[in-house]
Amino acid sequence: MATRWREWLTGWAFVFPAVALFAVMGVYTIGSGLALSFASWNGFTPEWIWVGLENYADLLWADPSLAPGVRRAAWNTLQVCVAVPLLTVLISLPLAVTLNSVRRLRGLLRSVYFLPYVTTGIATYYAWRYLLEPEGSINLMLRSAGLGSLAQPQGWLANPSTALWTLILILVWSAVPTATLLYLTGLQAIDPSMVEAARIDGAAPRQVLRRIIVPLLTPMTAGIVLLGVRDSLHGFQIFLIMTNGGPGGHTNVLALETYELAFFKGLAPTLGLSSALGWLLFVGAVLLTLANARLLRRVR
Amino acid sequence: MTSVKARILSLAAVATLVAAGCSTGGGQTSEPAASGQSISMWTFKQSHATALQKAAEQFTAQTGISVKVEAVTPDDVFKSKIQSAAQTGDLPDVLEAHAAGEDLELGASGLLADISGDVNDAWKGRFLPSTQNAGVLDQGRIDRAAADSPFKQAKAGSMYAVPFTAGAFGIVYANKEKLQAAGLSPDTPPASWEEFVAALKTSTEKDPQAGGLSLGLKVSQVGFNWVYQPLAHAYLGKEKFQGLFGKDTTAGFGSPDGVKTLDLYAQLTPYWMPGATTLGIDEADIAFAQGKSAYNVGGTFTLAFLAQNGMSPDKVLTFPIPPSASGAHKDIVMAPLALTSLGVTSTSKNRAAALKWIDYVTSPAGAGLVAKESLDLPATDLGAEAATLMGPELAALQKYFTGDPASTYDAGDTTFFPGGYDQVKPGDAVVRLSPLKELDPAQAGKELDAIFGAMWKSAE
Repeated sequence: MATRWREWLTGWAFVFPAVALFAVMGVYTIGSGLALSFASWNGFTPEWIWVGLENYADLLWADPSLAPGVRRAAWNTLQVCVAVPLLTVLISLPLAVTLNSVRRLRGLLRSVYFLPYVTTGIATYYAWRYLLEPEGSINLMLRSAGLGSLAQPQGWLANPSTALWTLILILVWSAVPTATLLYLTGLQAIDPSMVEAARIDGAAPRQVLRRIIVPLLTPMTAGIVLLGVRDSLHGFQIFLIMTNGGPGGHTNVLALETYELAFFKGLAPTLGLSSALGWLLFVGAVLLTLANARLLRRVR
Repeated sequence: MTSVKARILSLAAVATLVAAGCSTGGGQTSEPAASGQSISMWTFKQSHATALQKAAEQFTAQTGISVKVEAVTPDDVFKSKIQSAAQTGDLPDVLEAHAAGEDLELGASGLLADISGDVNDAWKGRFLPSTQNAGVLDQGRIDRAAADSPFKQAKAGSMYAVPFTAGAFGIVYANKEKLQAAGLSPDTPPASWEEFVAALKTSTEKDPQAGGLSLGLKVSQVGFNWVYQPLAHAYLGKEKFQGLFGKDTTAGFGSPDGVKTLDLYAQLTPYWMPGATTLGIDEADIAFAQGKSAYNVGGTFTLAFLAQNGMSPDKVLTFPIPPSASGAHKDIVMAPLALTSLGVTSTSKNRAAALKWIDYVTSPAGAGLVAKESLDLPATDLGAEAATLMGPELAALQKYFTGDPASTYDAGDTTFFPGGYDQVKPGDAVVRLSPLKELDPAQAGKELDAIFGAMWKSAE
């Protein structure tokens, strides 16, 4: 009996730090965040004011000075959520197949295509800003190539019709390396005899890709799409640093709106609203994930 | 006998400590401020931290109290650090906060102590008149606050901070060398909005890439706050200007008067520096300092930042946003408003020493020293000593603070705004008017009326 008790105690002693850490950093913060979404608080007062579902109603329809902005941000977020995963898959899959088939300089080429992942982050967003300025390299290259009519005199981020899509392309640029790496892993897990058998049966490379490789990579595609959706829903750094939601609110997204509600409304009691918007984003992410999983299951 | 002696000595010690505590700023405090004490302070301005640390050396030499000043930047980090410290009980003794807003919120939320009993009339009298009550929560502010605002729980008349720096927005900085190159006078500011727009046209024609106007429109509200509002105030006069923001849209931005003011603002459209909407406030100032624009709009505080970025103050011509020649006022006077203030945290165990420090840095000697080091105007009225204490360029900016009271634009007067006023929304609408040209003045007027209408409705 004493031995069992000691074993039980020893076991708990080992797992307690991890359980405690999760309880404090995970369960407590999630619970506290959820509770906050039903309260009004500015982060300073000792007491929260409970408002029930008011924060959710204000964000969705009830507050006329808040709801329209949230709807505009939701539309921008949706565009990002659809475009980023889609373009990432469309670029990274052929890229991975090509990289998988080359024999010479394979290591070097993989390193080159993986560079954006290594360098990605806040610093690269600043670097991109310089490239996209009115006198930046992108405009300079276009003018040098005789495509001056495509150059943006105000810069790519100052034109409302190019700003959001420019940010989407930068997000894709930073997502492609990871996706390519995942696809390469998936490609190397495919049994070469299956491809070989298809070729012997007379399948063209395009048919091999369409009928064998793409279906077998479906789980990988699901993962990449999920990562893309998650990053698109939660990522706000690029929007904060590169445009701050501008020009004129044209690149505002829900994650940025959440951040702004938490930290840029003076000291107004908007932390509850911010938390509620965060939970709405979470619900949106879960729904999109389920829809994506269902769709891919059907495709498979 | 020994016991009696000990009691007498104890009483004498207590009396000395009380006297020392009472000596700060002429106010009354309960704790003593003694040599050897150490206090801490947080500021959100890097330039202030260096200047305050220099002032702290003087203060320590005089009182024996040491002060550790820490800069926490940028603003959102400063705010979240205060939030965390408030939860863990690790706040410093003194906080420098945005005046007439953030400081009051911190006070009403219980983080800053009520110092109304410590700051007597003589102390208040040191400050520029329009800034004296910036740290006082008045009944009007409580009445206008939203139902869930912490102001509703606070006591009217509480003073949570004293003004520290003051200034005005809507100051235009012009590069003298670029003016000269464009054939414009480097010493004479434009007398009217029309002359300003004509000067912009000339400088932009001379240098299409670097002859325009810079302003950090990535923070969209600066166009509305710093340029449009002083311009509209001068054009319409105070009463009609305040009417623009009211519930009655017949006198709002979409009214003929409102549209005219937006039309004046839209005249800037061809002259914005390329990419102005992608620049933050600091980035726009840096662009100006680097010669990428001929004109830049900022506040009195911008001079310090330009100097830090290598632009000598004697190379710039400064003037407030010029009034339209066809408007109600032919002159613009900028009422100085308190920009930052100093408060004692409610958890401070060194309240008397903290008050003594605030007393010192808001005295003419302390304020002058900080102003000279930081190139930021103090809220303390330095009077005739201003030029000696602060230097000529900084003192020159103060001339825009005095003039006809009728044409004085007071950016600190927020009594006519809806409760929970969110300046980003009108800022975005005005950016869509200029430089984006997505709206014409009439459409922008309608959109602004809708925005303010929604804010009034939300406030109800």
